Amino acid sequence: MEKLKLPSADRVKTRVPQLISDFFKIVVMLAFVFPFYWMIITAFKTYPESMQVPPTMWPTEFSLEGFYATFNSGLSIPRYMLNTVIVTASVICLQLVVMVPAAYAFAKRKFPLSGLAFGVVLVAFMIPQQLTYIPVYLMMADWRLISSLWPQILPLGADAFGIFMLRQSFKQIPDEIIESAKLDNANELQVMVQIMLPMCKSAMITIAMFSFIGTWNSYFWPLVMTNNDLYRPLTLAIERLRDAEVGIHWNTLMAGNCLLVVPILVVFIFASRKIIEGFTYRGVK
Amino acid sequence: MAKIEFQKVCKSFGQTKVIENLDLTIEDGKFTVLVGSSGCGKTTLLRMIAGIGPATSGRIFMDGKDITDVPPEKRDIAMVFQNYAIYPTMSVRENIEFGLKNRKVPKAERARLIEEYSEIVGLTEYLDRKPSQLSGGQRQRVALARAMVKKPAVFLMDEPLSNLDAKLRAAMRVELIELQRRLGTTFVYVTHDQVEAMSMADTIVLMEKGEIQQVGAPEEIYHEPNNVFAAQFIGTPPMNIMEMSGGSRVGFRPEKVVLGDRPDVQMPIRMRGTIATREMLGAETQYKVVLKSGATIMVKSPDEGFREGAAVCAMVPAPDVHFFDAKGQHIGHGGPADLLKAAGGMNDA
Amino acid sequence: MLERTPEMRALARRSRNRRWRGYALSWMMILPAMIFLILFVIYPVFNMGNMSLYRGNATNPYKEFLGLDNYHRLFFVKEDFYNALGNTALYTVGALISVMVFSLLFAQWMYKKRKLNNIAQTVFFTPHLVAGVSAGFIWSWLMSSQSYGLFNSVLTAIGLPEVHWLDSSAMAMPSIIIMNTWKSIGYYALIILSSMKNIPDEIYEAARLDSASSVKTFFKITLPMISPQLFFLLITITTGSFKVFDSVRIMTNGGPGDSTRVLSMYIYDYAFQRNNTLGYACAAGMVMLLIMIIITIIDFAFVEKKVHYQ
Repeated sequence: MEKLKLPSADRVKTRVPQLISDFFKIVVMLAFVFPFYWMIITAFKTYPESMQVPPTMWPTEFSLEGFYATFNSGLSIPRYMLNTVIVTASVICLQLVVMVPAAYAFAKRKFPLSGLAFGVVLVAFMIPQQLTYIPVYLMMADWRLISSLWPQILPLGADAFGIFMLRQSFKQIPDEIIESAKLDNANELQVMVQIMLPMCKSAMITIAMFSFIGTWNSYFWPLVMTNNDLYRPLTLAIERLRDAEVGIHWNTLMAGNCLLVVPILVVFIFASRKIIEGFTYRGVK
Repeated sequence: MAKIEFQKVCKSFGQTKVIENLDLTIEDGKFTVLVGSSGCGKTTLLRMIAGIGPATSGRIFMDGKDITDVPPEKRDIAMVFQNYAIYPTMSVRENIEFGLKNRKVPKAERARLIEEYSEIVGLTEYLDRKPSQLSGGQRQRVALARAMVKKPAVFLMDEPLSNLDAKLRAAMRVELIELQRRLGTTFVYVTHDQVEAMSMADTIVLMEKGEIQQVGAPEEIYHEPNNVFAAQFIGTPPMNIMEMSGGSRVGFRPEKVVLGDRPDVQMPIRMRGTIATREMLGAETQYKVVLKSGATIMVKSPDEGFREGAAVCAMVPAPDVHFFDAKGQHIGHGGPADLLKAAGGMNDA
Repeated sequence: MLERTPEMRALARRSRNRRWRGYALSWMMILPAMIFLILFVIYPVFNMGNMSLYRGNATNPYKEFLGLDNYHRLFFVKEDFYNALGNTALYTVGALISVMVFSLLFAQWMYKKRKLNNIAQTVFFTPHLVAGVSAGFIWSWLMSSQSYGLFNSVLTAIGLPEVHWLDSSAMAMPSIIIMNTWKSIGYYALIILSSMKNIPDEIYEAARLDSASSVKTFFKITLPMISPQLFFLLITITTGSFKVFDSVRIMTNGGPGDSTRVLSMYIYDYAFQRNNTLGYACAAGMVMLLIMIIITIIDFAFVEKKVHYQ
């Protein structure tokens, strides 16, 4: 009879701690997603159930009360959502239009004063926008733009880090490709649009993704830059849900947060690998 | 010093089987070279000896002791990696010392060993440098010193010379051979370069697709190849192989072909053709000859006088003709008259 | 000497023209970005410096020239500035330690190439994508001091006393740090993980052959080899923590008392919530900028020397 192949002692020794570690890992993972779970199920609870002691882990009845309350809170939630969407989309487009040509010129073109201009980018990179908001606000007020969405869009038009990152990815394209395109009688514009841009697609998607997440979630900037509900984004609306006169209704508040968080989570579920890669790239470079 | 034995060893990565039922004995105190094209399983075999890539099944013995499940640190081996794997954050001294410290060698002894071995590899002046300040050849020496200082029973080397330039590689080849002779330790050396294998090995283990094709001294493999694969792997350009009627094959090395203007009836194989290309290599000239039959053969000859386009007769002396059966197994060379006669079927001159 | 024919001169002129056209095109390409960066990032710093010398408000920032008086008040008259500075330092040190330690542990924990670890990366990363406002609200809800707050009801259920997470001055700051650790661990762990994966396997194999224990391998090999990355994170986390605002404003709004009033919140309050203190806020902002620059320089000067092995 053939000898039965038993796992050797050494292999058993590594397998048991592995199992314990896996179990522990899963527990920690559950703990990490738990706040989201808690947000969602609270949003579906009725107001009395949300205050029940001890709290229920699953709504006894699924109620849309919280969501109704959000939309009937006296705040024009659709307006806020629209503002968020318009601002986010505008920032993404503006950034790409402004940053891509600049990054291309810095990476692949030689011209006088390019060193000085890049120095400006480097200096801007070190100055946090969170510090310069006072003069920017006054400037916007001066230009009579406070009663519009512009203060939330224009100051974000160029992100020094984004220029940096795009320049890096343009630089990785070998000069020979540009030269051979020129030998094939392509002009500057054709080189940029037909050769460079397609090759840097993933860097541009990453940039767009950062602006999307950053602008969608931004709170401080619109807080400073708006003084009229007509132009405020969703993040500010949610804060105001708390300050309603009736006191804090956590189910309503969590329903409001769902509106803010769920779109991001949905995008993340569909593109998690891509997003993680983008963020890691940004951190590592 | 140690002898290593593989018994019915298998290795698979996921679904793909890399090695199946392999048996092999590596002799004590010899310089053994595992050679084959990439993906043939030679590195896998080496990593099994080291214990860093355990076998899926089968047993491995070292001096008769079963080491299949012994963790790498408990095996009496040292390894030099292809990319050297020296610790970039540590100085040369710390690199050499690291293993000694871990094995609780006393401080004075460590200092003595570091001095001794940095002397042997010629790194004494560089002990306090970081690896990034060293050249490729010097890093290679750090890796060697780090391995040698452990005084292992077996030395494993995974393509250690492949990152060096041609000149340095040739020099290091000689140094490694000398080192092995001096230490008298079992060396197991992996390479894809047949020239390296031929020049360094006591014993060559020729592998392909996870199977051993031939084990033998370099001369043996060159003169008595086991099969078509072995015949074509060793030697540049590879042995010319021609199909005969009945599926069996005849082969002869390019350097054994005699070129002439007219056929010599003493030669069992005589074929007419035209010189297609000519490469002057110095001592020899390499020709590509297109035969009347349409086949091409390579010829390496000391005679540099043939020009492109010239009509020639390619002839092979009887002792240099190899015969292979339909499966590619070697069935003999030179002698057997009936075989020679069969080969004569190809003659057109 | 070579005589220049009119044709040659025309040719030279044409090539010069072409070159300048090329330069002009390059400048056109960088111009928009330059305008945005100078107008909205660099110029405002000077503007802010200038305003810090005045008393004023949002409608009239230059009411009265004060010279350095705002700075004098900042350091020697009002004591709340030191409080804000101390809170920020406390938060920064706390966040730095907890984020660094846990990110390292998590990265090491997710190192092996396995399906479970892929899922873990995604899960741990998720909080990073969520708005600070939402994260603040969700955790305020979890940490609610009412008896229906989840954390406290769990503590009660297992017989432990309730904790005043956000409404005691001792616990408020740690609670905010806990929340932000949850939010950012996944991101930093991923960065550390990717630099860990850049260490060739052979180095680890060599270490095993050198009989190094796994603890020793971590401290002697992994840690030194990823130190450039850790250094980068050190700067990012420090400067990032210095700017913390959203989560603090949502979770405690600076309270209880002033125990979590951090610098950015302090500046915001003086800029827009009070009368004629805009210049004072600008002065505080300049100090904050200076501190951040100094931290970066210190980080570079003292730490970088030790971490770069190339």
